[in-house]
Amino acid sequence: MARPHHLAAAAAVAGLASAAAAPTLGAQARPAAAVAGGGRAPSEAQLLRGRALVLNHGCGDCHGGSPDPASEGFLAGYRPDAVPSLEFRIGPCADRPDAQPCFRTRPRNLTPDNATGTGRFTERQLFNALRYGLRPGETPDVEITGTTPGQGNFPAHPKYLAPPMPWPAFRHMADQELRDIAAYLKHAVAPVRNRVPDSEGPPDFWASAYTVALIGPYPAAPFPTAREQRPTLARAVRGTGDRSAPPPRR
Amino acid sequence: MPRSHPLSVRTAVAAALALQVAAAPSTPPAAPARAGPAARTVELTLTAAPARLALRDGGDTTDVWAYDGRVPGPTLDLREGDRVVVHFRNRLPEASTIHWHGLTLPFVADGSPFHPVPPGGSHDYVFTVPRGTAGTYWYHPHPDHRTGAQVARGLYGAIVVRAPDDPLPASLPEHVLVLSDNRFRPGGAIDIADPASPAGRVDAENGREGDVVFVSGRVMPALAIRSGEVQRWRIVNASAARVYRLALEGHRLLHVGSDGGLFARGVERGELTLGVGERAEVLVRGTGAPGTRALLRALPYDRYIPQTRPADWATPRDLLALRYDDGPPVAPPALPEVLRPVAPLDTGRVAARRVMVLTQHLINGKHMDMARVDVRARLGTTEIWEVENLVGMDHPFHLHGFRFQVLDRNGVPEPFPSWKDVVNVPKHETARFVVRFDGFAGKWMYHCHILDHEDHGMMGVLEVRP
Ligand code: HEC
Repeated sequence: MARPHHLAAAAAVAGLASAAAAPTLGAQARPAAAVAGGGRAPSEAQLLRGRALVLNHGCGDCHGGSPDPASEGFLAGYRPDAVPSLEFRIGPCADRPDAQPCFRTRPRNLTPDNATGTGRFTERQLFNALRYGLRPGETPDVEITGTTPGQGNFPAHPKYLAPPMPWPAFRHMADQELRDIAAYLKHAVAPVRNRVPDSEGPPDFWASAYTVALIGPYPAAPFPTAREQRPTLARAVRGTGDRSAPPPRR
Repeated sequence: MPRSHPLSVRTAVAAALALQVAAAPSTPPAAPARAGPAARTVELTLTAAPARLALRDGGDTTDVWAYDGRVPGPTLDLREGDRVVVHFRNRLPEASTIHWHGLTLPFVADGSPFHPVPPGGSHDYVFTVPRGTAGTYWYHPHPDHRTGAQVARGLYGAIVVRAPDDPLPASLPEHVLVLSDNRFRPGGAIDIADPASPAGRVDAENGREGDVVFVSGRVMPALAIRSGEVQRWRIVNASAARVYRLALEGHRLLHVGSDGGLFARGVERGELTLGVGERAEVLVRGTGAPGTRALLRALPYDRYIPQTRPADWATPRDLLALRYDDGPPVAPPALPEVLRPVAPLDTGRVAARRVMVLTQHLINGKHMDMARVDVRARLGTTEIWEVENLVGMDHPFHLHGFRFQVLDRNGVPEPFPSWKDVVNVPKHETARFVVRFDGFAGKWMYHCHILDHEDHGMMGVLEVRP
């Protein structure tokens, strides 16, 4: 059910047991723009933008339902009876069932129910979850201006969302896009009461699985890196041999 | 066990306390309806200082911080109406306070982080124990960010407040059981983990637990009982984080009181869970045969998030042995049906309803800030607080300055009113309580009583104005 890039996220952390304790996330990140902590009513246009992002990023694939907002259990989180199961096994046991460590993780209820969903979290906390991977239930509701632990409101001991939540990919969305998603989840999804059992995880809350070495820096390295190129028309034609390819944009 | 053991409060207290009861009462408190013994002034000195003690029988000696050289500190035996003057001398190398957990007293006497006593300094705590507050309380330091570290080194003690009209027979042998736990390095030093180490991180998350469990300063003490006898136990959970699910082999417990004293009626229990900071009064009925023995044990209790649940969490722990002597059974004493009626607080006129959202180390998404007031209220008003625990770990919620009555837990109404100052809110559950701000104006803390959580800022400030 999960898409290839989701599985890749899981695979990247499957080797977590061997990952050495390395410093978390680089210091080079740029501060996030101020994020509204809620209060003002979002516009319909913003909610529709957030809705589109939630659908085209496959949030429902893991968080319930499907890319169809009318589907049963849409965004309501893991349910024990759902088929196929939305429970993940992270660690060596992903391929060898008996291997250890083995952590079962479950996508959480993203509907704004107070007791079991995101109702008690602010949009800023949801923003920080998507931008920095910080668990909203364990991270202060503050504006974060750096990614060096202990500085700029970045927690000294960050607690990260369990894999395969693809926040290392989602964080590259623009500030406004993340705000749109948060606004949609908080204001435009109907609350559903569904208590998702807590995800398991290592005592470092995945810090050693989310090092810069493993998930890259935020923001991404300047374009082009060694694996990218600044295309010219000639190279594009020679390189791909595909004459129907559209001309590269400047 | 001989009654002269420190567990036996009546005999121990006078000797231990350097307690001076002033002959002439100074200002008598408001005339009690049924006058008990004349109001008195209880004046004593408590010194917090480093000491070296053998905490475990036959074990190494340990450098501790202790009140009057003892761990736990002396039990304070008070009466309703007492005027209490405690001369606190801080001989520790850092600032400290004494917080009188659960007692209703003036703001300056609360021993909260607002009134630190510097190293080498002194402070007089002066307060009067209100009528109607007989119960079991305790005292411990409460300085900013350092409560856990100071309690772990040995600073805590019990308080008993007695009523002139206590309905239980005075003849019941009484024991104060102060539950605490600690862990030690080889050689006997108290093991306090470096906060940056993996063990330190686990302590920050779970609250610091120890593998050695003490009952009033002793490991696995024995208590003597005669078949047929009924004993009154006052149990204090003075641990930084451990929850005790108590069961006494082969016995049912008659649960007769909680933090703020007796219930209207006793409740039969097979087991009793005591959250951090909570107290219970139970009657132990000697239903065993002469010469037998029963263990008081702490059964497994899963208060942990999966990430840091200790590997041995499911191991039961033995706390003490109850030993029946060989003497012939005695006739059980008659116990009153009605103990102390507790009038429910009026929820009809409520000035405010508040939601306190608990997550790991946070209340309402915030860390504690001494310069901030989180909640403002007026003296004499009534409020309902809904404490929602959103995360997968229990959080014991404690309010300073005012006792409260739990209304419901997870929507299930509390069967009868009782006085509480801590309510343990289990993982993902909600508790509601009603509080009337009868007492003193000031700035009062409310916080998670897992000491590591409190020290990490899981705390807020309630300002109550006249
Ligand atoms: C590949 C599966 C997967 C996809 C796709 C996914 N998530 Fe998640 N998400 C998870 C898992 C698993 C968790 C639980 C993490 C944990 O328990 O630590 C989670 C947790 C979260 C949380 C934290 C909620 C809380 O209460 O703690 C938020 C917010 C969230 N996801 C938002 C999103 C959004 C928005 C999208 C789409 C843009 C999305 N997720 C897509 C797997 C996924």
